[in-house]
Amino acid sequence: MKSAILVKRNDPRSEDEKNMLQLNELRELAEAAGYEVMCELTQTRHPDRKFHLGRGKVDELAQMVVHLKPDKIIFHNPLSTMQIYNISEICRCEIIDKFQLILEIFATRATTHRSKLQVELARLQYELPRARAVISILKKDERPGFMGLGGYEDSYAQDIKNRMTRIRSELETIQKDNEALRIHRHSKGFSLVALAGYTNAGKSTLFNALVDENVESKDMLFTTLLPTTRSLNVEGRDVLLTDTVGFIEDLPHWMVDAFRSTLDEIFLADVVLLVVDSSEDLENIRKKLLVCHETMWDQLQDVAIVTVFNKIDLIEEDELTERMSSLGYLAPNPVAVSAKSGFGFDELKAQIHDLLPKWERISLSFPMSEKAMSIVAWIFDEGLVHNIKYGKDISIDFEARDKIINKAISLAAELS
Amino acid sequence: MFDIIAVDISGRHKVKDEYLMVCAAVAASVTADHIEKVNQITIRSFRSRSPPDIPYVVKMIEETVSELKFQGTIVAEAGDMYNKPQWLIDSMFSYDFKYQESLSERRCIEIAHHVSLSSRKLLLKELGVQ
Repeated sequence: MKSAILVKRNDPRSEDEKNMLQLNELRELAEAAGYEVMCELTQTRHPDRKFHLGRGKVDELAQMVVHLKPDKIIFHNPLSTMQIYNISEICRCEIIDKFQLILEIFATRATTHRSKLQVELARLQYELPRARAVISILKKDERPGFMGLGGYEDSYAQDIKNRMTRIRSELETIQKDNEALRIHRHSKGFSLVALAGYTNAGKSTLFNALVDENVESKDMLFTTLLPTTRSLNVEGRDVLLTDTVGFIEDLPHWMVDAFRSTLDEIFLADVVLLVVDSSEDLENIRKKLLVCHETMWDQLQDVAIVTVFNKIDLIEEDELTERMSSLGYLAPNPVAVSAKSGFGFDELKAQIHDLLPKWERISLSFPMSEKAMSIVAWIFDEGLVHNIKYGKDISIDFEARDKIINKAISLAAELS
Repeated sequence: MFDIIAVDISGRHKVKDEYLMVCAAVAASVTADHIEKVNQITIRSFRSRSPPDIPYVVKMIEETVSELKFQGTIVAEAGDMYNKPQWLIDSMFSYDFKYQESLSERRCIEIAHHVSLSSRKLLLKELGVQ
C-alpha cells in the first residue's frame, strides 16, 4: 500500500470546523486513492509565494519525510508549479495537490475508452498552464545562455494543445452517439431520472436497491465514475434511472467540463433525485447541499428535484425530522428513505411519478377485429391501461404520452 | 414557501471620474428549487466619487429595500459583499441577511442582476455617458 503525508494550510480567521471537514475529506480522498495516511500537518498563515507554507514548516515536513519515508505528500491547497518544485527540492519527495489526487483516483478507476480519454483531457488541461514552467525547471541546467529553451518550451505547450484538440474531437464523436441514444430513449417514451448528490451519499446503493442491480458501491469517494442506466418501473410507467458521479467541493470548472458527459445525464433528466446522507450532522449536510446546488446551478434548467434523505436507518426519528425541517429551504420535495432496508421506496416512487412529464388519460372504443387486437397490444406496450372491455366493440381506458394518444385516436378512427 | 429579497448592484467601476451604480431588489416567494412568485421589484441609482466600501454597499441595499412593500430575508452574492463572512455583514444590516444558497435564491439574484445591469445601461444612455 502506498503511503502519504497530508498537509493543509488554513487561512487566518477561517472557521475551525470547516477546516476540519476539509481535512477529513482530503483523508477520505487519499484513502480512496489507495494511500495509507501516515501523518497530517496543518499550518495557519497566509500563503507563502515560494513554499505555500512557511519555510520553517517545510523544514519540519522534510524531517518527517526522513523518518516516515512516505511515497507522496498531498496538499489540500492548490499549488503552483514553482511551489511544487521548491517543496520537493527540500523534502525530496513527490508533491501533489488535491486536484491531482482527484485525477489520480479517476485515472485508476477509468476502465472504458471514453473515461480514459476524459481523464487524459483533464490531466492535459491541468498541465497546460504549467507546461512552460515545468520545462524551464526540468531543463534549468541545460540552458545554454540568454535565449535558453524558448523554442522548446513553446513546442511543448503546442504539443499539449494538439493532443487536447485530438481528444476533444474523439470525445465529441462518442458524445454524439450517447446523445442519439438518449434522444432515442426519450422518443420511445422513457422518462429520464438521474441520481445526483455529493460523493459518498449512497447513490449507488440506492440505485442497486431500486433497480435490483449490482453496480459497485463502497463506502468510498468516487466509486462510480461512469453513468450506469437501468430501467425502473414507477407505478406502471417505465423510466430510465441513471447513477452518476458524485459532486465534490471546489471541483474546478475545467474538471467539471472534462467530466461533462457524466453530468449531462443529470442536466438532461426529467427528474433529479438529489441524494443526501442524513446520518451526517446538520452543518455538514447543509454544506454538501450547497455544493450540489452550486454545481447544478449553471446548467440545470426547469427540472424537478426530489431530495432523498438516505441512510435513515442510522439515525433517530426526531433527529431526522429536525434535519429535514431546518434544511427545508435547500431540499425540494424531501423524501426519507433507507437504501439498505428499502424503507420509504413507495413514497419515493410516488413522488417521482407525480413529477414525471404528464401523461394524458383517454377512453377509446373501436370494433373488434384482428387489426384492433394489434392496436390493443401496441397500447399495452406504450401506455398504462387502466381498464379494457372486450365485446362486439373493444373499449379501452388508458394513459399515455400525447404522441401515442394522437396515433391511437387516428388508428381507432380508421377502424370505425 | 419562503419570502426573500434578492439584491444586486451594477456599476462598481469608474466611468468619467465617478461611480454610477444601480441597485436592484427583487422581492419574491420561493421554494427550494423554484421561484413561485415575484412580488415586487425596485431599483435605485447612486453616485459616488470614491469606490464603494462595505458600509456604503449596505447603505445602498438598505435604501433600495426600504422602498419595497414586501418583507423577507435579504439575499446577496458573497462577491457583492467583498466575500466577507456572513456574521460580519449580518451585523451591519437592520434586516435579516444571508448569502445565496439554494437554486431559487440564485435564480432571484440573477433576475436582480439583469434588472440592475439593464437599468444602468439605460441610465448611462440617457445621461449621455459612455
